[in-house]
Amino acid sequence: MKPGRVIGTVTLSQAAPQFRGARWKVLGAMGPDELSGKNPDGVGPGWTPVVLDQLGAGVGDAVLYVEGTEATQPFDHPIPLDAITVALMDRYVFEPID
Amino acid sequence: MILARVDGHCTATIAHPSLKGQRIVLCTPIDEHGKSNGSPIAAIDTFGAGRHSRVFITTDGSWTQGTVHDDSSPIRNQILGLIDDV
Repeated sequence: MKPGRVIGTVTLSQAAPQFRGARWKVLGAMGPDELSGKNPDGVGPGWTPVVLDQLGAGVGDAVLYVEGTEATQPFDHPIPLDAITVALMDRYVFEPID
Repeated sequence: MILARVDGHCTATIAHPSLKGQRIVLCTPIDEHGKSNGSPIAAIDTFGAGRHSRVFITTDGSWTQGTVHDDSSPIRNQILGLIDDV
């Protein structure tokens, strides 16, 4: 699980049938500065994954997401999925020491 | 396995049902000298790991499914130990 902030959405004009009704979010990285409040509403540099969202995350929300095979576990049918949101963080505290 | 330091925690009202009641900590991966070594990750914690304690994390989701008693859980990261020495 990694923290990320929703920075956008993706819509598809055509899609695999497994993705009917799916909502896709683009995430920006949340690093130490974003989690600790030095850059409270921003995103860090790096990878911007696109994830399936079933929690109703909106742009600006801080989420936890999972990448890998585990992302498909909530589904009772095969689905070609790389990443999924698993939590909307409503409060977080982060105090790195170096 | 990942060596990490507990640098924070979070709460989430809206989450996958398997996270309900779980303590979620925010951790910084560390190297063998205890220095930060990577981007923050989240893990569930059944040890009650204290702030800035060093922990031992698995990313094995199939194990964590057993911990949360939910075969459909997507959760991967779980603290499996508190580090004494590296």
